[in-house]
Amino acid sequence: MSKNNTEEVKYDGKPMEHEFDGIKELNNPPPPWLMYMFYITVGISIIYWIYYHVSGAGDLQEAEYLNEMKQAEKDISKNVKTIEIVLLNDEASIAAGEALFTEKGCTACHGKHGEGNAIGPNLTDNYWLHGADVKSVFNVVKNGVPTKGMTPFKGQLSDDKILQLSSFVLLKLKGSNPENPKDPQGVLVN
Amino acid sequence: MEHQNFSYDNKIVKYFAYATITWGIVAFIVGLLIALQLSFPSLNFGIEFTSFGRLRPLHTNAAIFAFVGNAIFTGVYYSMQRLLKTRMFSDLLSKIHFWGWQLIIVAAALTLVLGITTSKEYAELEWPIDILITIVWVIFGWNMTGTMIKRRVKHLYVAIWFYIATFVTVAVLHVVNSFELPVSLFKSYSAFAGVQDALVQWWYGHNAVAFFLTTPFLGLMYYFLPKAANRPIYSYRLSILHFWALIFLYIWAGPHHLLYQSLPDWAQTLGVVFSLMLLAPSWGGMVNGLLTLRGAWDKVRDSALLKFMVVAVTAYGMSTFEGPMLSLKNVNAISHFTDWTIAHVHIGVLGWNGFLTFGMLYWLYPKLWKTKLYSEKLANAHFWIATLGMLFYVVPLYWAAITQSLMWKEFTADGFLAYPNFLETVTQIMPMYYTRVFGGTLYLIGAIMMVYNLVKTAKAGSFVDNEETSAPALESQPKKRIFGEKSHEWLERKPVAFTIWALVVILVGGAVEIIPMILVKSNIPTIENVKPYTPLELQGRDVYISEGCVSCHSQMVRPFRSETVRYGEYSKAGEFVYDHPFLWGSRRTGPDLQREGVVSGPMYKSVSWHYNHLMDPQKMNIQSIMPKYPWLAEKDIDLDLTAGKIRVMQKLGVPYPDGYDTKANDDLLQQAKGISDELRTSGINIEPSKEIVALIAYLERLGRDITPPAPAKEDVVVEATTLNVDVPADDSSIASGSEVFNKNCVACHGAKGQGNAVGPNLSDKYWLNGGSNSDIYTVIADGVPAKGMQSWKKQLSEDQMLQVTAYIISIQGSNPDGAKDPQGELYE
Repeated sequence: MSKNNTEEVKYDGKPMEHEFDGIKELNNPPPPWLMYMFYITVGISIIYWIYYHVSGAGDLQEAEYLNEMKQAEKDISKNVKTIEIVLLNDEASIAAGEALFTEKGCTACHGKHGEGNAIGPNLTDNYWLHGADVKSVFNVVKNGVPTKGMTPFKGQLSDDKILQLSSFVLLKLKGSNPENPKDPQGVLVN
Repeated sequence: MEHQNFSYDNKIVKYFAYATITWGIVAFIVGLLIALQLSFPSLNFGIEFTSFGRLRPLHTNAAIFAFVGNAIFTGVYYSMQRLLKTRMFSDLLSKIHFWGWQLIIVAAALTLVLGITTSKEYAELEWPIDILITIVWVIFGWNMTGTMIKRRVKHLYVAIWFYIATFVTVAVLHVVNSFELPVSLFKSYSAFAGVQDALVQWWYGHNAVAFFLTTPFLGLMYYFLPKAANRPIYSYRLSILHFWALIFLYIWAGPHHLLYQSLPDWAQTLGVVFSLMLLAPSWGGMVNGLLTLRGAWDKVRDSALLKFMVVAVTAYGMSTFEGPMLSLKNVNAISHFTDWTIAHVHIGVLGWNGFLTFGMLYWLYPKLWKTKLYSEKLANAHFWIATLGMLFYVVPLYWAAITQSLMWKEFTADGFLAYPNFLETVTQIMPMYYTRVFGGTLYLIGAIMMVYNLVKTAKAGSFVDNEETSAPALESQPKKRIFGEKSHEWLERKPVAFTIWALVVILVGGAVEIIPMILVKSNIPTIENVKPYTPLELQGRDVYISEGCVSCHSQMVRPFRSETVRYGEYSKAGEFVYDHPFLWGSRRTGPDLQREGVVSGPMYKSVSWHYNHLMDPQKMNIQSIMPKYPWLAEKDIDLDLTAGKIRVMQKLGVPYPDGYDTKANDDLLQQAKGISDELRTSGINIEPSKEIVALIAYLERLGRDITPPAPAKEDVVVEATTLNVDVPADDSSIASGSEVFNKNCVACHGAKGQGNAVGPNLSDKYWLNGGSNSDIYTVIADGVPAKGMQSWKKQLSEDQMLQVTAYIISIQGSNPDGAKDPQGELYE
């Protein structure tokens, strides 16, 4: 039925004897670059195997991970400052804390003005679940209260930022009188 | 030589072509819908049947098995008859094959939207459908083999070699990966667990790509490309080399889907090196295809169908270059779990499978209907719009992938994740998602243009069901090799021997990887703390499976700092030994959930958070793209299945105590009640019997069993600060505390505070939740609901709680009989 391959075309060689539904086949050698590519990948594979599993020179994934962590610890220790946990009174710190309060999504659970909502407690009254001194608040922000839904921020904020945030909460929110405050929870302080 | 008259069965080709086009359009539409859902989550419509988790497997199955599958059969049934100069072996088998395959597709579509799924990618269909697939596939193979045996052509052409490899390999892959024990008609558990299940799944999954999307299409290319271009195949020798190398090497490459995961290093290395070695054999097909076009490039300019084929072959070359690159561990560390994989597979399916199918259909329709294509111009327009569509689809996704991956990995100089909130990395790539939707839309429009063009073509022509033809009969062949006959030539005239050889060649790789993984114990080091799921958690896990959570959430923390900081301790092989099936996932559209239940970890969320989040994720995070799951609060847990599930798990080696199946529901209800009670304290009223409770129980359990090693010192600055709790120390207070303790606490902590199977020892100096006055008081007041310690502040007055605290402090170091082993950290 087919009239394929009847035109005269210059091929590299003679078509082979067989023909399938009009499809002819030449028998050119495979391109050398393709063959070399294959030999090279085989060579790399053998070297790869020896490097990781015979000679033991290459780090397998667990060792690689431990190295990464060690390196990170070294890098960070250069940058970590030790700070003292005392209230920061200066305006810049409090403003920074206020910015963090919104940025870090504290408002989602504690309300826009710290008044509390269905999820998190009121931060503006004098009743506190986990203490109202700066160290307690710092600790709650840093380590969270996971079972109650409070996220630990130690993986997200450095200590000085946590302190700014805590100072903002204690100096600006606590004692403010926002609308729709949530009922008090916890122990009366001061 | 006797000339025999016979006819080709064109009707079956037509049927498969119709099915290809229909399912193709369905697959593209569903794909477009789920792409839209990722941009606009409200398009999940808040109903279970249209949520992303259920539609995503529908899309992949429709694209692979319905669209590409029917395209394969269209091409195979057309080309095989002609290459072998015979009608198909049996019209009846052809018909059963056709209708059986469509039945499978319909059954798949129905069950997947109903949430009936095994969750294993591209093998989601439940066991009755798996059996049906096996039967239909064997019928296909039987028909094919019969046709080869009654052929009138001495040798098998290279296209047929690829069809043979497809048949045997898909059969083996499907059967092994579908080892599962049924619980009911619509529910089964994979026979393999954890690491083994992952290896078997990706041995299957990778080779579904290899032997369903690649080898049959290489076969189609070897027939339709030279036919359409009217040129001889460039190199017979290259065909032989790349065919055998390809099928031998491909089967080993599966573990590259599990790099840096809890798979033993040796298996990962095999995945890497065999993927690398696969490059040249894969390109063998592309080279042979493109060089076949030598001297015909002028035709390519004018012919839409040749353009489709050229781009198809080029896309194949790109995909098969990208594949080995993505298999290098350092590249994979960036690409995996991102949209890179999605872009990669779409180059493959839209470019290689889609374009070759379009080219084939444009060639076939005029042939079958004995007419000219209705509009060459429209076909050319289809080509350009589809090409643009593909580019608009993949380029933004590559961009999105690299962006997101770098955001996941970036640290600040202080050692914090630069983007600790996962959602930030999702919001960042939203523009790329919109562009992807645009690309997908173009591709769909192109396909619709093709449908119009083909319908018009068919209308203008006349279809002949049985195409009369004739060919010389095949003289009987000597079984042995004839003198001077090359060994491969000999094999080419022995279809059964060829099939057996292909089978042997593809079995090697799988056997070398899978058998040791199952037999050699050291591959999966045991972790003693890892316990089976409670009945409620097991039911919750099945909800997780049913809703397709694994489509967007991995449960596999890789050993990278950026992952252990974000999620918690990296995943260990021994953690998954009771996971039938494994749920490691392949894409993180949302965050990893492996450590979701670790209370001290960065991922932990309270039960009320989970409830609110499942009901309305956008209420928690306005930018979240997760669907809402309100039906989980309405649907009841299927308690009738609990006992059966436990029994099946026991058969699979999960160590529930004998006879536990009968008691399982009691435990289930008790645990569910605990969660429901806890939710009530947050003002949420939900009956314990609802699916959402089970799912929350499962999420709270995730990743908890291993106690992570003590974290690197993080508290360089402050000691854990204390709440000021004034604990009385006088004897009378302690005596009152003792009374309260005897009344309320001994059930779990023993008569003398020595602890028992339920609660920890309170008389030693090791504390799970801190040993300071305030710690103890807080635990009593607030409880540790996740661990079973209830909150007492509603039952006890503050004074009473202080007294109990005082009593507990007074028994420190009392060393009562039968004291439970210490847990937690030393506090002095």
